[in-house]
Amino acid sequence: MKLTSLRSLFASLVLPLVILMGLGLSTSALAADGQNSQQIANAKTSDADLWRAVKAGDSGYTVAQGSEAGVLINVVGNEGKNIKNEYLTPAMGVAVLGVFSAFLIFYFVNGPSKLTKGFSGKMVLRWSKADLIIHWVLAISCLGLIFTGINIMLGKHILQPYVGEGVWAALIYGSKTIHDYVGPLFIVSWILCVVKWMPLQTLKMYDLKWFLVVGGYINFGPFKGKHPDSGFANAGEKMWFWTLAIFGLFISVSGIMLVLPGLDLPREASMAALLIHGLSAIIIIAFTIVHIWMATVLSEGGMECMKSGYCDENWAVQHHNLWYDEIKENGTLEYKD
Amino acid sequence: MAVMKFLCDTKRCIECNGCVTACKNENDSALEWGIQRRRVVTINDGEPGETSISVACMHCTDAPCQAVCPADCFYRTDDGIVLHNKDTCIGCGYCLYACPFGAPQFPKKGAFGSRGKMDKCTFCAGGPEKNFSEAEREKYGANRIAEGKLPMCAEMCSTKSLLAGDAEIVSNIYRERVAARGNPGAIWGYTPKVGA
Ligand code: HEM
Ligand code: SF4
Ligand code: SF4
Repeated sequence: MKLTSLRSLFASLVLPLVILMGLGLSTSALAADGQNSQQIANAKTSDADLWRAVKAGDSGYTVAQGSEAGVLINVVGNEGKNIKNEYLTPAMGVAVLGVFSAFLIFYFVNGPSKLTKGFSGKMVLRWSKADLIIHWVLAISCLGLIFTGINIMLGKHILQPYVGEGVWAALIYGSKTIHDYVGPLFIVSWILCVVKWMPLQTLKMYDLKWFLVVGGYINFGPFKGKHPDSGFANAGEKMWFWTLAIFGLFISVSGIMLVLPGLDLPREASMAALLIHGLSAIIIIAFTIVHIWMATVLSEGGMECMKSGYCDENWAVQHHNLWYDEIKENGTLEYKD
Repeated sequence: MAVMKFLCDTKRCIECNGCVTACKNENDSALEWGIQRRRVVTINDGEPGETSISVACMHCTDAPCQAVCPADCFYRTDDGIVLHNKDTCIGCGYCLYACPFGAPQFPKKGAFGSRGKMDKCTFCAGGPEKNFSEAEREKYGANRIAEGKLPMCAEMCSTKSLLAGDAEIVSNIYRERVAARGNPGAIWGYTPKVGA
């Protein structure tokens, strides 16, 4: 019985996260088990039932101020703590180390994806100046949140044992402060990114085929030399976009719930926000690592897009053929002069 | 080595809030406005079966606050008292979410997580600073344990409902009381009243 209520809540949260964040979490009904009301009724006559009701979250009269002062016992937060320590914290470690080393190994076995025809030297316009600014504000704020967030979640296991007490206090306090103030910057740039880039990211049938040949990034076996169709964004980039869109929403809403103590949320809601925040962070961090690997070392010529906004013509043909054909046909293709 | 515990004998507690006041007074130097480390809650107020209980930090053996704190500022003393270091605390509020008894409290509610440093019952055992130092008084309040005394709340309890001390001694006192009172309702027709 002990862990079931929040644990099953957590399981059911993973899909309908948003609905639950809006509706269900503010009820302390989560804490109470089915027999609660009967126990409360019995409590007038039976000591054992009185304590059972108190343990199930029954609330009484008190002169103490503050939210939930009348509640003697609320076990939900402790169940949340168990989920956090048993699953989320290790999962974060696995996400960071696992994904990074998997890509490192992949890179050494596979090598980067080279341009088959080399660089043409002709640069095609791909991103506007506004797009570049959105991207880098989003990237820098997100990285700031990732490093400080990882310290908040894992620091006491991986950092604190190796630094002095004063250094640790400064590091963790600095992380929290930076995390709190960079959050809003992330939210703004995240909204701009989602709204402005959404039209480029709709899923198409050819995206399925892209997955079947792993995007053409494999340099050996049956997948070698394949160049699947792709539009402005390939299927992998679309996955990244939608992951960031969805979990960016979860992480932003739960972050706001955590960062504003004045909201006076019930402990269940705060703990649920903390778990959703951690889970979303794990997913976003894992994808961020993939994204950075792809952009910097795995795809030759890819980084140029986000530096100047232009890409090499050969890169466009090899990696985004449908987009290239389209802009060539409708005359929107713009070369760098 | 003792294991310090609180126990509130609900058959005696008369909801006078003397413990709350005693705590406020004893730890005044550390308690910012609005913080009250102990509270008395009455279940079934004004109805048959009315029961009052005084609650503060329970100094859990496997403390949830300690396990959840990202700054790792909690520690257990040799007496099993759960204390924390306000210099390391970042005011994130996780301990408040995790604690089953609502013990951790914060002086502020500002935007962007500025709750200030967490405060909770110290079992009148001060904090990590030097015993009886000015810094200890200011941040954590009294250190009666170092003086060889028990927490002020329990010492001042007018009905000796709130007991504090080594778990074994506390439970022995309680067991004697239960034996003396009998157990009303346990046997048909046997309903002795306390003091009757
Ligand atoms: C990509 C974006 C983000 C990442 C990767 C991230 C990551 C994290 C992580 C890993 C934690 C620690 C969770 C734990 O201990 O279980 C955390 C805590 C927290 N996050 Fe975020 N987060 C992000 C965005 C935000 C946003 C947008 C806000 C809202 C402004 C926010 C507010 C908070 C707060 C308030 C905490 C609790 C600690 C504190 O008070 O600073 N986060 N975050
Ligand atoms: S603050 Fe709460 S969780 Fe921590 S020891 Fe006290 S009662 Fe237990
Ligand atoms: S508020 Fe302070 S004591 Fe509580 S969990 Fe956060 S850092 Fe730890």
